[in-house]
Amino acid sequence: MTGYMIFVARRFGQLLLVVFLGISATFFITHMTPVDPVAETISVITNFGKSDPEAIDLMRKTLTELYGLQGNVFEQYVTFWSRLIQGDLGPSLSAFPTPVSQIIFRALPWTVGLMISATLISFVLGNALGALAGYYRKSRILKIISLGLIGLQPIPYYILAFILLILFGFVWPILPITGGYEMNADLDLSFALVLDIIRHSILPALALVLVGAGSWLTGMRALTSNIVTEDYVTFAELGGVGSTRILRSYVVRNAMVPQLTGLAMSLGAIFNGTVITEIVFGYPGIGTLLINAVHAGDYSLVLGLASLSIVGVAIAVFLIDILSPLLDPRIKAE
Amino acid sequence: MFTIVRDLIRYNIEFAIGLVILLLLIGAVVLSFFSPYPPSDIYVVPPDMPPDAEFWLGTTSRGQDTFWQLMIGLRNTLGFGIGVAFLSRILSLVVGLTAGYAGGRTDRVLMAINDSIMVIPQFPILVLFYFVLKDDMNWLMLVLILSALGWSYDARLIRSVAMSLRTRPFTTQSVYSGMSMRKILVEEHLPYVMPIVFATTMNNMIWSIGMEITLSVLGFTDVDTPTMGQMIYWANSHSALISGIWWWVAAPVGAIVILFIGLFLLSMSMNEYIDPRSRLNRMGN
Amino acid sequence: MKLWRKFLAGAALAVLASTAQAQDISNLPRKETVIIENPEGTVKNPGWFNIWVNGGGGLSTGLQQLTMDTLWYIDPDQGINGAWYNSLAADKPIYNADFTEMTVKLRKGMYWSDGVEFTADDLVYTVQTNIDHPGMLSSALLSVSVDSVKATDPYTVVFKLKKPNSRFHALFTVRWNAIWVMPKHVFEKVADPVKFDFANPISISAYKLKNYDPQGKWYIWEKRDDWQRTPLGLLGEPGPKYAAYVDGGPPDKKTIAQLKHELDIIHDNTPEGMFTLVDQSKSLATWFKGFPYAHPDPTLPAVIFNTQKAPFDKADVRWALALLIDMKAVDLASYRGAATLSAIGVPPTGVAMTTYQAPMQEWLKSFELDTGKEKIKPYDPTIPTQIADMLRKQPKFKDQIPTDPTAIANQFGYGWWKPNPKAAGELLEKAGFKKVGDQWMQPDGQPFRVRLTVEGDSRSVFTRAGTLIAQQWKQFGIDAKAQPTTNPWQPMQAGDFDTAIAWSVETWGGDADMSFFLDSWHSSFVAKPGEVQPARNWQRWSNPDLDKIIEGIRGISFDDPKGVDYGMDYLKLVVKEMPTIPMMSYNVFASMDTTYWTGYPSFPDDPYTDPVPNWGNSRLMMIKLKPAQP
Repeated sequence: MTGYMIFVARRFGQLLLVVFLGISATFFITHMTPVDPVAETISVITNFGKSDPEAIDLMRKTLTELYGLQGNVFEQYVTFWSRLIQGDLGPSLSAFPTPVSQIIFRALPWTVGLMISATLISFVLGNALGALAGYYRKSRILKIISLGLIGLQPIPYYILAFILLILFGFVWPILPITGGYEMNADLDLSFALVLDIIRHSILPALALVLVGAGSWLTGMRALTSNIVTEDYVTFAELGGVGSTRILRSYVVRNAMVPQLTGLAMSLGAIFNGTVITEIVFGYPGIGTLLINAVHAGDYSLVLGLASLSIVGVAIAVFLIDILSPLLDPRIKAE
Repeated sequence: MFTIVRDLIRYNIEFAIGLVILLLLIGAVVLSFFSPYPPSDIYVVPPDMPPDAEFWLGTTSRGQDTFWQLMIGLRNTLGFGIGVAFLSRILSLVVGLTAGYAGGRTDRVLMAINDSIMVIPQFPILVLFYFVLKDDMNWLMLVLILSALGWSYDARLIRSVAMSLRTRPFTTQSVYSGMSMRKILVEEHLPYVMPIVFATTMNNMIWSIGMEITLSVLGFTDVDTPTMGQMIYWANSHSALISGIWWWVAAPVGAIVILFIGLFLLSMSMNEYIDPRSRLNRMGN
Repeated sequence: MKLWRKFLAGAALAVLASTAQAQDISNLPRKETVIIENPEGTVKNPGWFNIWVNGGGGLSTGLQQLTMDTLWYIDPDQGINGAWYNSLAADKPIYNADFTEMTVKLRKGMYWSDGVEFTADDLVYTVQTNIDHPGMLSSALLSVSVDSVKATDPYTVVFKLKKPNSRFHALFTVRWNAIWVMPKHVFEKVADPVKFDFANPISISAYKLKNYDPQGKWYIWEKRDDWQRTPLGLLGEPGPKYAAYVDGGPPDKKTIAQLKHELDIIHDNTPEGMFTLVDQSKSLATWFKGFPYAHPDPTLPAVIFNTQKAPFDKADVRWALALLIDMKAVDLASYRGAATLSAIGVPPTGVAMTTYQAPMQEWLKSFELDTGKEKIKPYDPTIPTQIADMLRKQPKFKDQIPTDPTAIANQFGYGWWKPNPKAAGELLEKAGFKKVGDQWMQPDGQPFRVRLTVEGDSRSVFTRAGTLIAQQWKQFGIDAKAQPTTNPWQPMQAGDFDTAIAWSVETWGGDADMSFFLDSWHSSFVAKPGEVQPARNWQRWSNPDLDKIIEGIRGISFDDPKGVDYGMDYLKLVVKEMPTIPMMSYNVFASMDTTYWTGYPSFPDDPYTDPVPNWGNSRLMMIKLKPAQP
């Protein structure tokens, strides 16, 4: 057991290192942006209203000072870490002076909720079908289902989402096409609100599952067909073990480690996949926030979102690493 | 080689279909070099024509022949996907096999690099690269950037398999018989992870092409070079889905779906071929 | 296991049942609610209502249209009782002789939605607070001009200015927006007005906040019971009890939503989205009844040159590039024919049509350009008619294309430059260029390379125009390419561009005074190369004659009829110099659905305001809208 504890401790040190390297890299990349957040604020005024060139020069100076953008990148880097260690992500530059954390945590539950449920559904569906298709390789029905899901998978998500929206929102209008809940909804927790939220999440989740399940299926299918040829499976078959049991205890269990690694990482990486969902279905979340922040040169908001994502993925990978020796005894903890 | 292909075609309908699709794609790529129109010129044919004898796949609202746009787009997209997949597969194989086999400090150093790449959120980084590079954000640049971002996930997958391979008796035997690490990895472990490499190649291509399309839909790529994403970008900015110009969207989407079904069938049947037991099984029938 | 299955089945049934019955998009009474698109989309910091600070809250969420107010409004079109409206002011601004002092008389009996009366103190407080807090958006604008501000009685305010300024009132005159007045009794209790979110926004207009989405997708405003005690209420009773401003999503989705009657006013659309609505909706209302349907906004999209960068500093080169543009093709490629063209430096809309566009025609027809080899007359007044004829041949538009010359001029513009590659070549040669093989070379022997910056996906119409213009230049032997970017204003501010499609001309629309944009074109505001250029002279162009015109306008009052003469002088000067190539007005495909509301503005029947709903001026629609269903 002490060997395992040393392994965990070492792995934890690596986690901290990865988080530090990842966030630092992101910091310097985001600060390379040519977009000037001060100019963005100024354009709020000048793109529509009256503008006086002399006033704009003055405005530029005061805003630069106010946003704390003086000093070189390295000074800003030090400030950034000293704040981050205290858990402060600083004020947003495009929504000054609102704290970045306040903006992120308002939208985050929606992204996390939708993406986790959709990822889990596609994981279970894809792996179940993949295991079956890998084991019963002659089944015609499984082949057709596999081909169907694999054919859906490469359809650009934007197009698939839009086709679903047109089908179930317009041609056969049974589902809402926009938002996370109806307009003017009472947001106090109630059964009606939960139903409303589920109703609004059906289309976005369906689109995510349809494009997501295929890749689990192909991965699982490949793993299963590999394992099926292993000696122990053949022995078990010869020994008269039932096929359901073989599939469940021998095949799936062994294929699960790499698939779970994949799951952990895709859960950690949910930040990547939300932009188009939010654009097409008007679903709340952090994707739009991210795109807007990049456009506006709001690097504190980009960094805040990126840091969260980095910590999320790093922890997921860490957990999978320290759990896999327990799941698969052949992997030694070192 | 020829007999293998013949056997595969004879006994494996999936392989045959996959091969036909592959040949069609190669045909499209070859054909694309004979396009009568320069790829980025607009208003060279009447716009919005539905598919007919003259324009097999209709024309776009930008006055381009959808068929020829599709051929050139397929060439670019295929080249793009293959380029990213190839480069990132090499990276992930080297890192994954080495880390999984060597273990210890090598593993930790490689995984620290691997994980740092993996945790960096790709999407905002890509968008930022576009802002920084602007005019230089061309097709080749995007291949390089996506390859650099797209290997770490699969390297971990390969590593996890390699870790369990290391404990197998055949590895131990190879070590005792004095095989070098490079040799063990290439000759003993590589064939074993090939099915995963095939499967991840497909997923990697779906990922990279999907990424290209997502960036295109949002307008973050070179809008002059025809690719599947660029076609969808322009179709989308002309509201093709709702204004009845369905062929403009259907053509690239259909092409991508056929492309991936072909790839899937090929990789599936090759896996079965590599794996001797299932081949015997099939022959036995 | 069984219990689990029962639970799942029950939940599925409940969802299906609720799906079957709840088809409405909201629980508001639909017949009393107007649903309007907010083009800002999802608001980043939804709970921020402090419009005087850039805190990430929305502007066009209904906040500036329905709850804010200020001294005056100039409508981009005719307005309800004329384009000029004294809103919180009782009268027009009163200047002293040398324009160093402006007096404002305020209306009596105007009340904030919490029952406090609006007085001169609110206005003085607004100005002083902005000046005292540099973090506020209008702080710099006010502090460079205002020396002191004083209330001489509860309904009179006197501004003392730092230097003569005959257009100072423009800061408080809404054209899209302006400086809005602040409720003193709320803000004076706050420690730091820059950090205050104004979470419960007090309104000085006819509506007040009812509810908003904490995720920033919708804002709902409710008509005030005491709507009569507001400047908007003085014009009549607003029709809708509720106004909801929503995130409309991508164009295709907005179009679907309007076909489902779930979105009453679309802010802007793709041309194809608009044509789909015309084709499929039985309850559609638009600005022009037929082609091009869109509202021409008083902004002038143009090919803007960086005139500080060689060879775009030469008028001959700029003219050559203009004569290479086939505007008919650009119109069809960008707006699918639905553009209102303008060859001159003023948007073809509002009063500019009768004040400038029509009177300029004779001069334009006789205008001569010296190519170095010959003199040509480049103007072609028949281009709009040609476009109309072409569109009339398409069966689906046939009945919607006017034949009357005035209607054609109003909808398609008066004319444009005739493509003339020969003259363009001569002009380039005159500027020292040479053609080597198929490629034009600059005087220094380098290939002539032009990059045309266009706004990527948010204004796809201009990306389309830009790609075609670049292609036309390229076919002539210039290394030209369109370069999409998400925000063209960034490179334009920095001077880091060759040419760009954007606008540096914006007018009042309903008023002929050019100062709104022209004042900032004075040579004293042109930045050195490499430094940041303040708005709006993005072309960084200066000219001694232009300075004389600008100084002339500064010396007269804004309603002096001599202003129009100066305007004409400016128009003639920019034709000769071509610092930008004006193309068309910014036609906005705003579309309206008449299922629940009627009374939308339209041309020529009742052009009372701009239907484009992010304009502060669009509040006039609330007065004119009538329920379509009892």
